[in-house]
Amino acid sequence: MNTTYLPSDYLPIFIQLVLALGFIVGSMIVSHNIGPKRHSEKKDDPFECGIPVKGDARTPISIKYFLIAILFVLFDVEVIFLYPWAVNFKGLGMEGFIEMILFMGLLLAGFYYILRKGVLKWE
Amino acid sequence: MQTDLLAILIPLLPLIGFIINGMGFRHVPKGLVGILGTLGPLVSFACSLLLFTGFGGQTIKVPLFDWITVGHLNIPFAFQIDQLSLIMLLIVTGVGSLIHIYSIGYMKHDEGYGKFMAFLNLFLFFMLLLVMGSNYVIMFIGWEGVGLCSYLLIGFWNKNTSYNNAARKAFVMNRIGDLGFLLGIFMIMGAFGSVEYTEVFEQAAGFPIGDATVVAITMLLFVGAMGKSAQIPLYTWLPDAMAGPTPVSALIHAATMVTAGIYMVVRSNVLYTLSPVTLEIIGGIAIATALLAASIGLVQNDIKKVLAYSTVSQLGYMFLGLSVMGYTAGMFHVMTHAFFKALLFLGAGSVIHAVADEQDIRKMGGLRKYLPITYWTFLIATIAIAGIPPFAGFFSKDEILMHAYQHNKLLWVLGVIGSAMTSFYMFRLLFLTFFGRFRGSEHTREHLHESPATMTVPLVVLAVLSIIGGFFNVPEALGGEARLAEFLNPIFNLSRRVRPSAFGETLLTHSEEYMLMGISTAVAIVSAIAAYVMYVQRVSLPEADTVERPVVQKVLYNKYYVDELYETIIVKPVRGLGDTFYSFGEFIIDGIVTGTGWLVQQASGQLRRLQTGSIGFYVFAMVVSIAAILCLRFFVRF
Amino acid sequence: MLPIILLSVFGIVLLFLGFLKTRAVLLPAALLFILIALGAGFLEWNKSYLYFGDMLLINNLAILFSTIVLISAFMVVALSGDFLEDEMAQPAEYYAILLFSIVGAMMMIGYENLIMLFVGVEILSVSMYILTGSDKRNLRSNEAALKYFLMGSFATGFMLFGMALLYGAVGSFTLTDIKSYILLSHGRPSLLLYMGELLVLIGMLFKVSAAPFHFWTPDVYEGAPTLFTAFMSTVVKTAGFAALLQLLSVSFSAIYGFWWVILAAITALTLLAGNLTAVYQNSFKRMMAYSSISHAGYLLIGLAALGQQSRSALVFYSLAYSLATISAFGILLLVAKQHTTDGRPDESYSAFNGLSRNNPLLAFVLAVSMLSLAGIPLTAGFWGKFMLFSAAVDRGMVWILILAVLMSAVGIYYYFRVVIAMYFREGQAGRIRVAPFYQFILIAATALTIILGIVPGLFQNIM
Repeated sequence: MNTTYLPSDYLPIFIQLVLALGFIVGSMIVSHNIGPKRHSEKKDDPFECGIPVKGDARTPISIKYFLIAILFVLFDVEVIFLYPWAVNFKGLGMEGFIEMILFMGLLLAGFYYILRKGVLKWE
Repeated sequence: MQTDLLAILIPLLPLIGFIINGMGFRHVPKGLVGILGTLGPLVSFACSLLLFTGFGGQTIKVPLFDWITVGHLNIPFAFQIDQLSLIMLLIVTGVGSLIHIYSIGYMKHDEGYGKFMAFLNLFLFFMLLLVMGSNYVIMFIGWEGVGLCSYLLIGFWNKNTSYNNAARKAFVMNRIGDLGFLLGIFMIMGAFGSVEYTEVFEQAAGFPIGDATVVAITMLLFVGAMGKSAQIPLYTWLPDAMAGPTPVSALIHAATMVTAGIYMVVRSNVLYTLSPVTLEIIGGIAIATALLAASIGLVQNDIKKVLAYSTVSQLGYMFLGLSVMGYTAGMFHVMTHAFFKALLFLGAGSVIHAVADEQDIRKMGGLRKYLPITYWTFLIATIAIAGIPPFAGFFSKDEILMHAYQHNKLLWVLGVIGSAMTSFYMFRLLFLTFFGRFRGSEHTREHLHESPATMTVPLVVLAVLSIIGGFFNVPEALGGEARLAEFLNPIFNLSRRVRPSAFGETLLTHSEEYMLMGISTAVAIVSAIAAYVMYVQRVSLPEADTVERPVVQKVLYNKYYVDELYETIIVKPVRGLGDTFYSFGEFIIDGIVTGTGWLVQQASGQLRRLQTGSIGFYVFAMVVSIAAILCLRFFVRF
Repeated sequence: MLPIILLSVFGIVLLFLGFLKTRAVLLPAALLFILIALGAGFLEWNKSYLYFGDMLLINNLAILFSTIVLISAFMVVALSGDFLEDEMAQPAEYYAILLFSIVGAMMMIGYENLIMLFVGVEILSVSMYILTGSDKRNLRSNEAALKYFLMGSFATGFMLFGMALLYGAVGSFTLTDIKSYILLSHGRPSLLLYMGELLVLIGMLFKVSAAPFHFWTPDVYEGAPTLFTAFMSTVVKTAGFAALLQLLSVSFSAIYGFWWVILAAITALTLLAGNLTAVYQNSFKRMMAYSSISHAGYLLIGLAALGQQSRSALVFYSLAYSLATISAFGILLLVAKQHTTDGRPDESYSAFNGLSRNNPLLAFVLAVSMLSLAGIPLTAGFWGKFMLFSAAVDRGMVWILILAVLMSAVGIYYYFRVVIAMYFREGQAGRIRVAPFYQFILIAATALTIILGIVPGLFQNIM
């Protein structure tokens, strides 16, 4: 691996950064300026599927939504590990297989724990 | 290894006894307390015997663990088993066991019985540490520990204020000595870079005779010995220490603890041999102590006080022996003295027990009939201490006097005078206590009784030892082999190397030796007869305290006014100085202290304000400090 | 290595044990697991191994630090009998999290690769965030958890940034690579390395609550349940200092001249802030929080004066400090339960008034641990301070030594306030019933403190 970099070696990164930032800032400015704007009471009203607004948007939401969401992300991300394993299945061989079984076992144990704790029960 | 195990067990067992009896005080049943308390010392004694029989003449070191390591100084926690520590072990555990057994009978009815046995065991533990340690620091721990136990036991009956004062006096006087000892140890560390006996002595053997450092070290160490072994000027605590229960007086203030000073000098014999000046000073102090204490003992009327002064005087003899390089003679006297003085104290305890806690010999008399065993054993001990052959005291004292004669005739003359006094006051004590008729109240007379077996058995054992104790070291002149001297010989190898002349063959012919023995024996017997004539035939009694005495007797009776002297020249000025410092302290020190306290409080009050509880501020403070650190590090040159 | 795997598995087992009807098995099971891990750790004694592709290095030093962590954890768990009585508490989860956090601590102790350090720090920190907020009904506990989380993640950010910079400079996360990079750079390593080192240091200093990154400590320690405060102030601190020692002694000892000034300045600040602020406190628990800051200061001396003696001094001090702190918190738990004001346990000094009258044992235990924390001779704390100070003497850091000695004198003031309250104040403290096992742990800790105080060599022998 090359461990000595010249400042010029970072140029591509810099260009990418400028491009990314430039695109966001640029498009925001452009759309803000060239878009037509007409204000009226009806137009400025928050719109919710045709139903008039009632109360505050910041209502407490049941913790279960968050739990489910977090659990979903957790399992979703861990399943990603299956793809590289599938690709390298032959190369990793028996050792890889055992490691994966352990990994899946831990996941399943977690899943069982969740079930027993009743996290997935809605009522 | 078996030796290691034995060496560890010896001090451990009394410690276990202390822990059980001490922790379980008031919970351990009374019957068990005595058994538990005595078992430890007895088994220790058995272990010591095993060690002794299995001893091959080679010094054994038993390392337990590395104790303190500071820089280059390494102080291991190790035991050293050699001839000297073996003799001390046997004396300490043997006499200690007997006194523990005796205590069962003596203290059984005291409410602090368990506590007493626990302290006694603790004392034994520290004493064993003292004699077994392989370096000066362990010796110091034992040294301090026995001092502590002595303090606790003198003030054992702590409801009595004067007893507490006696305990405090003993503690303070010992502390003065300990300071000297401690300074001596520091000097040893500085001079030799080690406190291990073997290393220190090996190095010391290379020093020239009369080296200033060695002189200073030996003097400082001797200051420690003065405190512990009650030599002038630090002896006044020992007579007061008689406030403790009698077994304590026997064990701590006669047989073992007070001989620690002698043990220490013999242990450091190389250093002392290198420093003739110190030896001369010790000799002067020792003979002065021996005579002073003996003369006070002539007129005391408290049975234990007489014995206490006698102890001080005998300790003087031991140091006298050491000062003329009769190290073996000194150790020999430590041994025989342990036998007969313990016996005397225990006998006195038995008497006190019988006459309902009366200690004034003017109120005793004629106890021969009522306490036959006590009487006979006491008689044996008296003959032994008076130095009449063939009992133990004769041999050891004679050897000391012989060394003194060789060294300096004057010391010998003074020693013989002291021995005459010893014989006189001891027989006076014996006659006043056991002969004549009983002078106490009628009520007490009816209750006179011999003590129980737990008390008389130790008396008998010690009496036997007092008779035969001398035969361990019969001089060649009497056809003996001087076995103790032979046994202890390797201890003095290094001393012999640094000053071969002092260890040469004895210059005395056998006829001279016979003459010396004859003189000291004759003097002792004449004194005994004088006492007999005065107190048995003429039945003269010491006067009551109120009677006006002739000047000499008055001075003696009041112990040369030494306590009063100390009070005026030391205690009062120190107190005055203390008062001055106190008022000075109030003014300035207090000002500084409160000032500092105030400053800290203020700073604290300000700092506390930083703790606002707001995360915003915390994070801000953190970022600012990080920025500050980076700036400091990268933009400021230093 | 083995303890790390074992503890992870045991943690999961404990979670499932929580489903059993009887909660009583949890405490003994957790204790047993910790003991097994402790024993397993010593299997690798006197061997030095690299694990996980050079990620983890287990040597004697790591085992000693792990042992201190495990002993602390054992004591904390042993003192946690109250959970089983509390209906709302979830002991299985607490114990499991405790075990997981020990895994994190052990990674921090034995890391050889900065990634491992990061993972360890995060495992430990996240566990601590949860435990701090475990008293869900208590507003202050919640507040403390949130504060700790926010500040902690902020500090972690710095640390991670520092690691990235180090990687930028060296091209490797391994400690020995960093070292050889510095040695090969002929005294002119890249600026990134310096920046990176400082930022990693700052992140770690936050974790051990060194000033000026200590502001979170009093609030968090006071808000967290007392037991977890005890855990935090001992385990986290020990692991943090082990990690710092590893980082500085392995990687950065060659550029000592660069960082020692900063560390010395931080040491001085920490000593001042911790000790001086502790004086003003009225709550014992809050005083202990400041005291833990001040002890971080003393431990920092050992790092700032990095040398021959630092290792043994740090190990000894951590042990002495952990023993004393846990027994002090153990007593606080018992005493605070006796008086409650507004449903909250009373944690002020006055709660200890007259404790010695009816509870001589508890008073003695607390007195010994206060003496040890104050560094009075014949306690382990004295020798700990002694070793650290002599390390400073070796480096010739006289001014920091003077400051430390002065601050120890200040420390005596606030530690003795408790002792005075217990022995000289009148109070109506009744007899407190203490479970035998609880009592045993307290006595054992006290005995160890005294034994180490009398025979420090006993421990030095092991090193």
